[in-house]
Amino acid sequence: MSEPPKFAEWLLRRLVGRRDADIVAGDLRETFDPRGGGRLWYWWQALSCMAVRFSLYRRSLPGIGTDFSRAVRRIRRNPGYAMTAMLCLALALGVNTTLFSFLDSLYFRRLPVPEADRIVQIRRQNAPFCSWQEYFAIRNDLHSVQAAAVLIFFDSMEVGRTNFDANVEGVSSNFGQVLHPGAALGSWFGPESESQAEPSVVISYRLWKTRFAGDPSVLGKQVRILDQDFRIGGVALPEFTSTLPPFMADVWVPLRPPAYPAHATLIARMPPGTTVAEVTAEMRVVSAVMRASDPGNEELASPVLVRPHVGFMSDSRNAFFGPIVTLLSAVSGMVLLIACVNVANLLLSRAAVRQREIAIRRSLGASRARLFRETLAEGLVLAGGGLAMGVFFGDWTGRALELLLPSLPMALYRGLHLGVDWQVMKFLTAAGVLCAVLFSLPPALANGRRALNPALKGDSVRNSRQREVYSIVQVALSLTLLIATGLLLRALDRVQHIDAGFAFDHRAYVFLSRPKREAFTQATAPLVSILIEQARELPGVEDATFAENVYPFAGARCAAAARESRQEHVYTNTVHPNYFEVMGIPIVRGRGFARTGSSADVPHVIVNQTLARTLWPNEDPIGKTIRFGGCREAGSTTGSIVAVARDAKYGSLDESPQPFYYLSDNEDPDVGSLALIIRTAGDPHQWIKPLIDLVRRGGGDLRFSESEALGDAVARSLWQVKWRASLLAALGLLAIVLAAIGVYGVVACSVAQRTREIGVRMALGAVPLDVQWLVLAHGLRITAIGIAVGLLLSAFTVRLLRGFLYGLSPFDPVAFAAASLAWIAIAIFASWYPARRATRVDPMTALNYE
Amino acid sequence: MSAIYLGEFEQIVLLAVLRLGEKAYGVPIRAEIENRAGRKVTVGALYATLDRLEAKGLVHSWFADATPQRGGRSKRYFKLLPAGVEALSGSKAVFERMWEGLHV
Repeated sequence: MSEPPKFAEWLLRRLVGRRDADIVAGDLRETFDPRGGGRLWYWWQALSCMAVRFSLYRRSLPGIGTDFSRAVRRIRRNPGYAMTAMLCLALALGVNTTLFSFLDSLYFRRLPVPEADRIVQIRRQNAPFCSWQEYFAIRNDLHSVQAAAVLIFFDSMEVGRTNFDANVEGVSSNFGQVLHPGAALGSWFGPESESQAEPSVVISYRLWKTRFAGDPSVLGKQVRILDQDFRIGGVALPEFTSTLPPFMADVWVPLRPPAYPAHATLIARMPPGTTVAEVTAEMRVVSAVMRASDPGNEELASPVLVRPHVGFMSDSRNAFFGPIVTLLSAVSGMVLLIACVNVANLLLSRAAVRQREIAIRRSLGASRARLFRETLAEGLVLAGGGLAMGVFFGDWTGRALELLLPSLPMALYRGLHLGVDWQVMKFLTAAGVLCAVLFSLPPALANGRRALNPALKGDSVRNSRQREVYSIVQVALSLTLLIATGLLLRALDRVQHIDAGFAFDHRAYVFLSRPKREAFTQATAPLVSILIEQARELPGVEDATFAENVYPFAGARCAAAARESRQEHVYTNTVHPNYFEVMGIPIVRGRGFARTGSSADVPHVIVNQTLARTLWPNEDPIGKTIRFGGCREAGSTTGSIVAVARDAKYGSLDESPQPFYYLSDNEDPDVGSLALIIRTAGDPHQWIKPLIDLVRRGGGDLRFSESEALGDAVARSLWQVKWRASLLAALGLLAIVLAAIGVYGVVACSVAQRTREIGVRMALGAVPLDVQWLVLAHGLRITAIGIAVGLLLSAFTVRLLRGFLYGLSPFDPVAFAAASLAWIAIAIFASWYPARRATRVDPMTALNYE
Repeated sequence: MSAIYLGEFEQIVLLAVLRLGEKAYGVPIRAEIENRAGRKVTVGALYATLDRLEAKGLVHSWFADATPQRGGRSKRYFKLLPAGVEALSGSKAVFERMWEGLHV
């Protein structure tokens, strides 16, 4: 008679549990002999038991209710520790809520329209798909999709006699049919608007609430945009803010076929069953046909991209947001890690208190797996509480951030919505569960490992070493953040003290434009001169000038020294002759522009030092010929250099020296807009209103748009630096608070555990100062090691900040030293209270302690 | 109508326990299912189902006498609880109602 395989029996006992294994082995044995053996059969049956044992259901579900109700009961019995743990988690998860909703709106959010997953964007690599006219030519030839064209611009909107700046989304008339955006009031315009005398527009819900006080009779009101009359036909739904987030539109206007010489983004809805690949294939064909009819057009050469319309990250925005996203993710992750370590520490100290209970339960047969599950359940309950509070915090910080965002350099990004939705909740829940596992592991492992006998006898088995290590990790991580914050603050300080190369204090400006987007010409020159004279006569205004543009400049043109030489991409400005005096930009060589119209045949040009150096290295540029204007030969003009102006900052304060040239408005008045700039005696903000009044009175039919103090424009260009520094400062502060709680907890707990020792010391004659020092030294020791580790860690991580530091060395000793000293102060502060408590120990009580 | 839904295999196991009465433990239960339903059942699947039925309060189990042919290991006997009987009759009633007037 053969015997059942011994190894299978042993495995059964190990894996299934003694009692159940006994029953199964008995059953198998009883059947084994009558059926005449069969080792394979035996193995098969044994494995079936093990498989069931390891199935998820058996391992986790039975008894899970008990685990959780026990966890809740334990937490309710010790609300203090649970609240501390949840608060720590809530702070960290709150930060992550904001991060996740930021990431969500960047990468994942779809348009709030029905079946948004079928909406695609059609574009080219780094460019829109086609020009506005081309769109009207191709739209009827598209078979796979119906495409709408969208174009963003800013214009003033006139309603009755009031007039205000509006963000306009110019769209093709089929926009409503393609997107189905829905309306809160009225309806969207359709293809009929292309032939109407007064087509209807749709205004945003926000505009309706703010400008029209939510008045339902707004429908049918006449508005004037782009010097055309429209009627308000509808109000968009509140959640539909724009087609191209984070741009926030105020009004959607149906543009007519010949309307605009600009480029449009195409948005299309795919019919059911159509794939992105099919649309791409068709658009490639369309693009090839367009290319064939216009072979010289470089823009039609770049590849066609059809992408689902989610988030708003394009390549150029990636360059802007990418580094911020990386920084934010890294910092939020660190804060979360610090919070997890904190909770782990708390749970460890709880485990130390409960070690007798655990030991008793284990000796009565509770399995390690069972205890592990209980600890995990407790962790999950804590994480759940932290998550609920965190979402509340996060929603709140998200709103606070949204309020801060109008100060962004681009009004465009105001639509960045940081609300919490399901996508965000999914991320957060995953983060919460991950945290629960992370911080439940150490106490669970500690429970399982501990020797039973000493614990049963009541000898305290300390886990203080492990907790000290965690505390050190916290100090190290938060020190890294503190150093990074310090570096960014120092970088901000550095940028703020960069010499802009022009005077911006006491300067204010107002932008003027002509109706119907006409350019300023020789004909308008007298009006412009009169305005300058009138502005000079305003009380408190010292001088006034005109320029086509003010800081920050955008949109480079081309310049070259001679026909065949290499072209440089340069910024330019057309200015009034006294511009250099008013703006405090010295002419370093030659003379400025002539005050009156020049008699020369070729226009006079003033270049800055960098352009002079680039085009004519080691030569005197005065009198040289420069070719400037369009980057194609046809569009360029030649001029002669009359002077060299000192370099200044043009695009941003931290830029490297940029090439730049100036033209005189006497010779080249053909510009689209003009900024009237004044130099004032006092605070320039006071002169903005008089300036606007002046234009209203004496400016004829001139329109005015943007108006502000030049200093504000400069300050705004520092937005990114400030935003990063304040963000990191806020999160760094949070990390420090969390880590300080950690240090405090460890020191306070060790004071409690050493009460007896302290009592003995005091009975033997130790003075309070000795005892205080004993405790303080403990806190400082942890901190010192933490600082050492943190400095080492920072040495590796601060390199990542290099791009944000504007030339400041990432190993800036000031930031490193200041952060370390700050942490020592924090450690003294965190240890101070436990130290004081230690000295209040009454030696008699202490000796009887435990 | 029973409030507890029984799967097909659960019904088979419960019926086997019911048929065996006093003698219902692992080996005979499997034999009964094999003979009557013509189904091969692994020990693992059987005990998983019985554990689940016990957790639902449909059967009760206890440990009893070890015998030499089991290598000195104890048996685990099963008995239907009133709730189990009720669940079974509920399931039967459902089928009877569904079959009423049908001939295939």
